Amino acid sequence: MRATDEALIERIVARDERALAHLYDRYARMLTSMLNRILRDTQAAEEILQDVFYQLWCTAARFDASRGSLPGWLLVIGRNRAISRLRHHNPAAGEELSENTAVLPMTLETEISQQQLLGRVKATLESLPREQRAVIELAYFEGMTHSEIARSTGDPLGTVKTRLRSGMEALKRNLQP
Amino acid sequence: MNGHPAHEEDFDLYALGSLEGEEKQAIESHVASCASCARKLAEARGRVALLAFAAPRSEPSPAVRERLLRQLRGGPETSASAPSHAKHEPAGRFFGGWWAAVLVPAAVALGLAAIFLWTQNRRLDREIAELRATLQDQQKQLDYARSVAHLFEAKDTITVSLAPMPGMPNGAVKVMYNEKMGMLMYDGWIEPPPEDKSYQLWVVPMEGSPISAGVFNPATSDSAHWMTKLPEGVAAKAFAITLEPAGGAPVPTGPKVLEGHTT
Repeated sequence: MRATDEALIERIVARDERALAHLYDRYARMLTSMLNRILRDTQAAEEILQDVFYQLWCTAARFDASRGSLPGWLLVIGRNRAISRLRHHNPAAGEELSENTAVLPMTLETEISQQQLLGRVKATLESLPREQRAVIELAYFEGMTHSEIARSTGDPLGTVKTRLRSGMEALKRNLQP
Repeated sequence: MNGHPAHEEDFDLYALGSLEGEEKQAIESHVASCASCARKLAEARGRVALLAFAAPRSEPSPAVRERLLRQLRGGPETSASAPSHAKHEPAGRFFGGWWAAVLVPAAVALGLAAIFLWTQNRRLDREIAELRATLQDQQKQLDYARSVAHLFEAKDTITVSLAPMPGMPNGAVKVMYNEKMGMLMYDGWIEPPPEDKSYQLWVVPMEGSPISAGVFNPATSDSAHWMTKLPEGVAAKAFAITLEPAGGAPVPTGPKVLEGHTT
């Protein structure tokens, strides 16, 4: 039977390197795509990719699969680190597993499930008005706050908030299991 | 904030990192004491995380995986380049005389230098061979990734789930197939076959005999994926995996283990 993320985490806790390699093969491409998009620097992206999986190796014992999903955690931690580097912040504080619990609405354990999700996310974003999509991308990939987006686009702060809320609402609606 | 956030989407905005000042602090202080909202925040983090899939797909270099595994074993994280240094031995005095004092150390140094160069040469040959192999691997991975991308991007690619047949080994397999490109991708897991048997995947065309899409022998029940090229323009009505003699067969001879239909 396919080894679930949870089973592989248990093997990592028992210091099984092959289990980490298996999870790496499962999720490295997903993370690399995001890190390259944020940083636009392959070397920096690969450093963070390695760091994230090494952190998983070091802290796997504290991962609680009943509270959140592993790919969710990998994406949250990877993005935090990439945005910190992009914006020359100190490394994001609070990278403990429990503090970055992320619950995904679906499993991402197979390549096909990841590809199907990719299609749904892209279709949802493409269906949004251009301005809504732009503010979501500025927030997610550039790590900008409301005020920074407003300054960058020249739009009123209230408009930026409304666009972000509407965009995220559409994403939530379209990604319901 | 004592009450719940006014808008459910505020959890998403917090997870995006776009909230600032009081709005941000209000969410943080509230979720610290409200389990229900902490759960909503975790769900919002998950939703926001999925925006990663809006990024163009890219592949990590195989070197990252190698460095990571070296790091786990406590080895150096980057490729080691520590050339050995020839160490000059003190020259012996057993020949005596001024010429010996010059020539013997020179001969020893030359001998050591020759050994050093020889070992360096062998090491470089090995490294070149390894780099060549890595390059070939990377090219293969790149070709594979391109094929996968083409298959996924094509609008006429179909995905078919194959279900296990009663009394047969268990498994869950999905097949992606593009008739025009003649490309098929296998993704899933299946219990290992008996020692003297192999699994064989077949495309069952609308007309004619089944076409073999690959023979495989999973050693474990772990998930696997692979891709294969088939004749172009073959409309499929079903896909089946049969249990065949080790190495496969030109036509299906064994029982169906998993099967899925296109419609």
